[in-house]
Amino acid sequence: MLEIEQIDVYRGDIQILWSVSLAAEDGKITALLGSNAAGKTTLLMTISGLIKPLRGRIRLEGHQIDKQPVHKIVELGVSMVPEGRRLFPEMSVFENLELGAFTRKARETKDQMIEEVFGIFPILKTRKVQMAGTLSGGEQQMVAIARALMSQPKLLLIDELSLGLAPLIMQHISETIKQINITKGLAIFIVEQNVFMTLEMADYGYILENGRIVGEGEAKKLLQSEEVKNAYLGIEEV
Amino acid sequence: MAQIVVYGIITGAFYGLAAVGLSLVFGVMRHMNIAHGSFLMIGGFAAYWLFHLLKLDPFVSIPLVMVILFAIGAALYKGLFSHLDKLPEGLKINNSMLVGFGLTWVIDNLAIMFWTSDVRAVTPSYTGKVWHVLPGLRLPVVGLVIIGIASLVIFSLYLTLTRTYFGKSVRATAQDRDAGNLMGINVERTYLIFFALSAALAGIAGVVAAVNYSVYPTVGFEWLLKAIIILVLAGFGKIGQVFAAGLLLGIIEGVSVYFVGATYREVVGLVIFILVLLRRST
Repeated sequence: MLEIEQIDVYRGDIQILWSVSLAAEDGKITALLGSNAAGKTTLLMTISGLIKPLRGRIRLEGHQIDKQPVHKIVELGVSMVPEGRRLFPEMSVFENLELGAFTRKARETKDQMIEEVFGIFPILKTRKVQMAGTLSGGEQQMVAIARALMSQPKLLLIDELSLGLAPLIMQHISETIKQINITKGLAIFIVEQNVFMTLEMADYGYILENGRIVGEGEAKKLLQSEEVKNAYLGIEEV
Repeated sequence: MAQIVVYGIITGAFYGLAAVGLSLVFGVMRHMNIAHGSFLMIGGFAAYWLFHLLKLDPFVSIPLVMVILFAIGAALYKGLFSHLDKLPEGLKINNSMLVGFGLTWVIDNLAIMFWTSDVRAVTPSYTGKVWHVLPGLRLPVVGLVIIGIASLVIFSLYLTLTRTYFGKSVRATAQDRDAGNLMGINVERTYLIFFALSAALAGIAGVVAAVNYSVYPTVGFEWLLKAIIILVLAGFGKIGQVFAAGLLLGIIEGVSVYFVGATYREVVGLVIFILVLLRRST
């Protein structure tokens, strides 16, 4: 689905990503883990086209997308749940969802998709006309996910799903994501600090440290590995 | 007094038309387009020449004037203002003001060069015609048309912004540009169209001004001043409020003439401007 080949990414004069390569497969949940400021968000912004890599290639289903403008990449089937939700606060939940179906193709299936996301998150139906900015954190995250699904993406990017959410709500939302992944067969690429929770729902994981990939493997194996435990889970053996 | 209010409403409807494009572009794109007044002036002259050379009724010429201003707006946005879009908000506002000032100089002086600095007005046959509805209350025909046009503009703008995908994409990018981009909105194109639309709105106001008042190459700055007063009164980007503030300013100016005389009419608007700014800053 997604292949990233040795990208170098700068923000201003500072190099953030160093020869990063990874892949996200069809129908799988791929996780990118790493501490704060490791470059995770930069990587997602690069995939979605908001930042362009200086070197390297990004391919979606074999098509090179790293030089395409953001709106073209959306049309090609990449959708993002950005860090901090980034809803349109002064628009209703319904309007936020409508904007999720902005691309020409998505507009045709808009009504049907709205029904579908209301089915996934029934609470949003009761919040339909409410301004998105007045929702609780968990509800906002649901709107952000629902909005990203509206374009019927082939690849869903999720940045910091757990940010600012209570553990119980977090668990509910991560279960829902797993459900979406299974029922729709949607490829999901998720970036998280919360390593434990993410590896439980993911199929495959990469570890990013100071802008470099330092480890990868099956999610279950990563969960077991001493190295990951020590360095990223903060579960030191005493 | 009722008569004064009637004239105030007509002036106010024009002020609303003059300010709405400026306000929308500032509210959505964070460009403070000082050259907006010059766009009005071009619209006024366009109506004048269409009337004199082609005998085109000024109100009939509005769609044509809008097309002309749309094209000019699109070209100027592409050539000048779009380069500022990458700047952070504060710098963008400052720099767009500088660009706008420069543009005003160029446009106004080109207008003097081509059209001379004569004061001109469009005078169709119905200029000065009035309806006597009640004893002592006269309704000028031109004024009624202006109120009609202003209502139509505000109504269609409202529908465009709330009901169409284009309008929604404009509001979305105003709230969060990158998030809008991630929805698949081509932000650059949306901004281009929106800026051009604002110029077309200036064109409508220019036609109205040429019929109801007069037009000359440096008149744009005076109208810009009114538009900025309204912007400060109304806050940014809300069309309903812009027209309400326009009406308010028009009526206050009209009434003030009754009390302090026409000489101080301009001062009244500026005093309101300063008072509002003082209150806002606290």
